[in-house]
Amino acid sequence: MLLAFGNFTADPSVNLQLLIGGLALGAIYAVVALGFVLVYKSTDVLNLAHGEFLMLGAYFALTFLISENLNFFLGVLVLLLVMLVFGLLVHYGIMRRMVGQGFFAIVLITLGIATIIRALLLIFYGPTERARLDLLPQGSFEVGGATVRHVDLIIFAVVAGCVLLFFLFFKYTRLGLHMRAVADDIEAAAAMGIDPDKVYAMTWAAAMVMAGVGGLLFGHVTGAIDRSIEAIGLRAFPAAVVGGLTSLGGSIVGGLVVGVIEQFANGHLGTKWREPVAFSVMFVVLLVRPTGLWGRKDLERV
Amino acid sequence: MNARGLDLTIEGLTVVYGGVTALDDVRIAVPSGGFVTVLGANGAGKTTLVRSITGLLYLHKGRVRRGSIVLGGESILGRKTPDIVSAGVAQVPEGRKLFPNLTVKENLLCGAASRSDLSGIDDSLDQNLDLFPQLRPLLSQTAGLLSGGEQQMVAVGRALMSQPSLLICDELSLGLAPKIVHRLFELLTEINETRGTSILVIEQNASLALEHAADAYVLELGRVLMEGSAAELRGNPMVQELYLGGGGEAHTSYAAIERPRGERRRGRKKPGGDS
Amino acid sequence: MTATENPPAQQTAQTYRPSTLQRFLPFIIAAVVPFILGSTTGDLNFWWKAVITVVVLVVVARLAWKWTPRGELTHREDMRLWRTPSDRSWAALTMFGLLVLPFILASDFTPPMGFPWATWFAVVNLVLIFAMGAAAFNLLVGYSGQISLAHVAFLALGSIVGGVVGVQWSGGNMWYALPAAALAGAVVGAISGLPALRLKHLYLLLATFGFHFVMMLVWREYLQEYFGFVGIRFKGENSPRIASWLHWLPGIDPDQNGEFVITGQFRWYWVLMPITVLSILFMVNVVRTREGRAFAAVRDRDVSASLLGINVARSKLFAFALSSAIVSMSGVLASFYIGSRGEDSFNVQTVLNYAIIIVVGGFSSIQGAIFGSAFFWFLPEWFKWAREELWFVRDIDFLSDYPSEIDLAIKGFLVVIILMFKPDGLAGMWRDFKNWLGRTLARSNP
Repeated sequence: MLLAFGNFTADPSVNLQLLIGGLALGAIYAVVALGFVLVYKSTDVLNLAHGEFLMLGAYFALTFLISENLNFFLGVLVLLLVMLVFGLLVHYGIMRRMVGQGFFAIVLITLGIATIIRALLLIFYGPTERARLDLLPQGSFEVGGATVRHVDLIIFAVVAGCVLLFFLFFKYTRLGLHMRAVADDIEAAAAMGIDPDKVYAMTWAAAMVMAGVGGLLFGHVTGAIDRSIEAIGLRAFPAAVVGGLTSLGGSIVGGLVVGVIEQFANGHLGTKWREPVAFSVMFVVLLVRPTGLWGRKDLERV
Repeated sequence: MNARGLDLTIEGLTVVYGGVTALDDVRIAVPSGGFVTVLGANGAGKTTLVRSITGLLYLHKGRVRRGSIVLGGESILGRKTPDIVSAGVAQVPEGRKLFPNLTVKENLLCGAASRSDLSGIDDSLDQNLDLFPQLRPLLSQTAGLLSGGEQQMVAVGRALMSQPSLLICDELSLGLAPKIVHRLFELLTEINETRGTSILVIEQNASLALEHAADAYVLELGRVLMEGSAAELRGNPMVQELYLGGGGEAHTSYAAIERPRGERRRGRKKPGGDS
Repeated sequence: MTATENPPAQQTAQTYRPSTLQRFLPFIIAAVVPFILGSTTGDLNFWWKAVITVVVLVVVARLAWKWTPRGELTHREDMRLWRTPSDRSWAALTMFGLLVLPFILASDFTPPMGFPWATWFAVVNLVLIFAMGAAAFNLLVGYSGQISLAHVAFLALGSIVGGVVGVQWSGGNMWYALPAAALAGAVVGAISGLPALRLKHLYLLLATFGFHFVMMLVWREYLQEYFGFVGIRFKGENSPRIASWLHWLPGIDPDQNGEFVITGQFRWYWVLMPITVLSILFMVNVVRTREGRAFAAVRDRDVSASLLGINVARSKLFAFALSSAIVSMSGVLASFYIGSRGEDSFNVQTVLNYAIIIVVGGFSSIQGAIFGSAFFWFLPEWFKWAREELWFVRDIDFLSDYPSEIDLAIKGFLVVIILMFKPDGLAGMWRDFKNWLGRTLARSNP
């Protein structure tokens, strides 16, 4: 692929820079994709509101960490707790009644939730854009002629940590096991005495907390914090799909793959090609292997 | 909890899905430590009966209109499934319903979801594996890849993991080789005798169920058509004709499947007329 | 039981056949009276016209009800679009209403309490355009179950075809652009539907969403290549004109330049209303025939449908092609009606708007699209009115500080609430109302 566009640039340091930028972008995609995967894996809901969740997280980070000027760790704790409460609210207020409804009705209700969050954020924070967060180390260092920002490394570490944490949680805890059981067969799980309601509530809370983490991280690398950052939710779709919507590890790999492809498309073809190339990759993956690289396959019975 | 079985009494149970009545004034009693079977053809309301006991009707938009379900002196009607499971009811669902992407061990552990004595779970796991030694080498195998018989063993083992006082088996024989079904029924009898667990078996395979159970009920179109001891029903000519394939053979012929349609309507007009 | 005991003569005694004239008379009245009312400008005042309108409405509904074939119907009668008395009277009412509406809206009338009147005509025209697009969307996702988020891509395709055929080639001839858009929409729609042969639900939704982004790229490239960042101008010298064979009609006069430009809400109404009504009737007819039953079968279980001998691939692609063709046409109409289309005319919010429309109107119902888009466009109007005029709302600063945001919030809450409590939306409420009305009428004169 690089050879085909070799006339643009063959400078290795430029390509290295693109690779590093792509990995950084991919780490952000991975954070978002992880949120999708969490919800889809256990509730079978495609949450189109995740970008808005993330925006909520970014604005709350702004409030707690900048406006209220809390201590960093205390602020993050408060942020995550508030997001957790919002997650429970989403489940007990809305999604609980939607269990068993048609797939598209549920997709549409997440769009409705997205609309509400966007409108309320506009009302309470106004349309003015805010400077991005600057709480994490802002420095950078050089590797082979390319710049690596500290923030990107931190993001990467946090995402890897989260995936590992969730992996261990699902694999080795009782609640994690129950969540996987509900994802597999809600009725059988209920028959075993697992309360699907609680599991779903946990899932939404976890997704919201992940969105809080994502908002905090993305708030450090976005141009500015304003209403447009919810678009990250949609832009992370290819990452989630390429990784497989049911695989935690897949979200990281998918994120990195799509991030790098996007950056190279950006660098060699132009900015306007970013989204189309990413979505074309998603399209091809869907046609060749709909469940993504690591997703589980479901059989249909007539 | 494990020590003895609890008795289950269902009185006047009427269940509707939307406007369709699935169960109509059903009365079933499982004595403490008893082994009861409920027989019936497709659409007789057997699975609805299980769902009503285990509180899962809501998943299918069903509703109990009348009646009572009492387990060991306590009403369990209207309680949430986790409560009911904690109270001692475990089920082997129709069609096994394992968690296909979980391993066998994880499946078994899910059965203990309602237990709070975490230390006892490992012991139960061992006990169950002694009942089904075939499962020991398969523990880390993905459940969806097992054969039908192995899956059914996992399903029974999973239900036993909650140390139930009442075990409900829905269509245990569905799609399994007769030899395996025989083995499973022997195991149920063993559990019933050694642990004192009350057992309620919902079956289409009447001959086998009547062989092992003490009491039996026949459900037709949501009503109890007949009830009595298993021996009594085995001797009943109507049961022989409808469910035992004429001469009490284990295998029903095609003709015997066709005939009940007419019989069913007659049966509805004068329910329980023969027994 | 009773049917076999009664002699067949009694059955035929109840059979009633109106004459052909009786069958069509209510509709003829409904078609003619609005134009008579409309041509008497200045002679009658507004309130008299309103009274006449209401009287004619009642008469037309009653006659259509009365002169309906009853009893034993022939197959032909049974397959008519409007078969029952209630269908026929609602059809006559709707016809009369649609024809009389522009005359009412065009009259200079000042409602009390500053109720917005002048802007309503524009809103009605937007409703028509959006209803057409939303109905086609509903045909695809509701009836045939092919979940797609690509409909905004087809609005963009409509604008592209409008730009190429309507502006660049013919300098403002919308009449060439419309069929061209239908054709392009059908072809591209069928291509965009190809993933549906392999994918379902979530994966299909994502694939069509990918198509959306590809189409957005095409749209931006096209704009930049030929029009620059200002976008396409569909007004001014590019405005559509009235076909020359219609110039003789009364009320159609040339403007100062001697041209017959379609301008102003009144003229636009007469362009948009027939196109919308015809395309919706067409879709209703598709849905209730063989093709529509195939859609439903494929939606419910495509494997079983194929076992029944339905060509699943054909059915899916046909649904995509039909829906996309109509959405593209509504894209052309929207472009010419609104007058300009730029880079940011189509975005994710537009996708959301259509989602709001079909949810509020009633998921998987073609009439629902009409209700939904009416609600979508009238809600901000009413809200604006309440904010400015209604005494108990006027003084709440909060509302007037964030008008569009609160609009958006209300729409979001509506989507959530309707999906939670009344999944069949306004169309469902309308059905409930009709049933209630039918029961009440039946009780009052048995």
